[in-house]
Amino acid sequence: MSEEPVRILVVDDELGVRAGCRKILSAEGYEVTIAEDGQAGWEAFQAHRGFAVLLVDLMMPRMTGLELMKLVREADPDVLPIIITAHATIDTAVEGTKQGAYSYIPKPFTPDELLLAIKNGLERRGLTLEARRLREERERRLLEVAAERSKSNTIIKCITDGILVINTEKLIVLRNAAAAHILPDAELVPFPLEALGCAEVRSLIEEVLDCASGPTILSREVGLGEATYMVNVSQVLEPGGAEPASGGEAAGAVAVFRDITALKKLETAKSMFVSMVAHEVKNPLAAAEGWLNLILSGLAHQDPQEERRMIQRSLIRIRTLRTLVTELLNLTAIETGNFTLRRSPVEVAQVAADAVEANREKSQEKKIQLSFTAGTREKALADREALLMVFSNLIDNAIKYTPEGGHVGVHVSYDGLYVKVTVRDDGIGMDPGDKDKAFDEFYRAKNDFTANVPGTGLGLSLVKRLTELHQGRVSVASSPGAGSEFSVLLPVC
Amino acid sequence: MAKLILLVDDDPDFLEQNRGVLSSRGFRVTCVGDPQEALEAIERERPDLVVSDLMMKALDSGFSLARLIKQDPRWAGTPVILVTAVASQRGFDFNPRSREDLIAMNADAFFDKPVAPEALIAKVEELLA
Repeated sequence: MSEEPVRILVVDDELGVRAGCRKILSAEGYEVTIAEDGQAGWEAFQAHRGFAVLLVDLMMPRMTGLELMKLVREADPDVLPIIITAHATIDTAVEGTKQGAYSYIPKPFTPDELLLAIKNGLERRGLTLEARRLREERERRLLEVAAERSKSNTIIKCITDGILVINTEKLIVLRNAAAAHILPDAELVPFPLEALGCAEVRSLIEEVLDCASGPTILSREVGLGEATYMVNVSQVLEPGGAEPASGGEAAGAVAVFRDITALKKLETAKSMFVSMVAHEVKNPLAAAEGWLNLILSGLAHQDPQEERRMIQRSLIRIRTLRTLVTELLNLTAIETGNFTLRRSPVEVAQVAADAVEANREKSQEKKIQLSFTAGTREKALADREALLMVFSNLIDNAIKYTPEGGHVGVHVSYDGLYVKVTVRDDGIGMDPGDKDKAFDEFYRAKNDFTANVPGTGLGLSLVKRLTELHQGRVSVASSPGAGSEFSVLLPVC
Repeated sequence: MAKLILLVDDDPDFLEQNRGVLSSRGFRVTCVGDPQEALEAIERERPDLVVSDLMMKALDSGFSLARLIKQDPRWAGTPVILVTAVASQRGFDFNPRSREDLIAMNADAFFDKPVAPEALIAKVEELLA
């Protein structure tokens, strides 16, 4: 407790009483303030505050002692009022205590009587204050505990993993909302473990509960409906027990259900992709190997012309393979974010023109008329090499899927927002089904014509990714026999 | 007359290679690019043996073709050789381990691509013997 002196307010219209009280109480170390009537006392109380004791006469001008007591008690209920009165009657005493006075001292009184009354009063006040302090602290702690508990409950409820808590009696004592959703058992918690719908989960929990050798955690993948969950069941040890390693008393088990459906789907997609890659790699490899085997075996005609043709056939397959690997690496780089675009303002028509020239020889070999027109010099913020790859791929495709003597046209235009590069051919075109899947990885339209066209099935997915990296869009219009038109839209800078 | 062998594959290189291998041994060879054409060719030409790729338009197109051949009493006795570039696919291992596996696949022999010319010839001659 602080060592500040106890402050006492003495209010009496008799100068003698005021002076006497001040003298007696100051000598005992109390800090005394005096006032000559109720009104003055109220002003003094408001001016100083912090009084522990109010010594107050009843009959005073302007404001009576009872009125002052009432005001003071309202302002500070901890002030201990003691009445000093010459008119000590039972009535006044009762009235005074009704108003909250602790005690009263009849006038005249001796210094000892005054000091004793003050001392008793202060003791009583101290006890009251202490009791209140303890009560308040307890209430605060209870509130904290309640807050903590409701916090934990809220947290457990909100966890998106399903949670079940099972005690040693094999009763399910807690089930959060996610668990109720995963295991739609009608029972209300608590309910026996046997009533749990999923036998696989039940036996996993029992295995953990029945395990005597220290803390156990078991995990299993469980399929529930459409979804797959990783279920982790861990033994719970009595808190405050021995070190966990030595194995405290088992208090039950906690089962946590994590939804791994999306992960499983990814896993499947990944292995599908890997086996597609394996197939796409092995097929050309096997074909090339087949040609070389044939040459070596001498089973084929020992005709140099024929052998040369076989070598060329294997070369075509090996080149496809090399392109495939390059495209795979590029795709992977884009997907992992390791494909860094070096962007600068690039005149799109210029890049398209370069791509056309790069494919000129190929088109001449197939006697395909390759034309180029540009109606804009707009620039896009782009990686020149990546754009070149996009346009080259589209032109290369157009040439591949157009029979000899056909026509491939590249046109660049500007619509006020985007630069549009279209690659149009009068080739074989695509079925609606093939068109929808044209940009999928490893998708290749299969028909009599395409069977003889080497390709990786990755070119168009690369085109799509690269265009999207430039905030652009690629689309295709096509119908069988009517050719195809691929359009790339790029925002101008 | 020389025995007729039907080759089924969507990869023209394999068709051409195996045609070269088999015709060098005096077999007559017909090549087709998909299972539907194969069924038509069987009706039309009654081959003595079929060599088919496993994966053409669909994952199991080779298996389906083999089943259709073996289930039709007219061709049930025609030997079928299945060939594939990827013997394990999407977690399935297609490599037959026993005679029972082959029967289950409706196949008389199974080869991983590329098939060594001598091995193909040996198997074809064994099955036609």
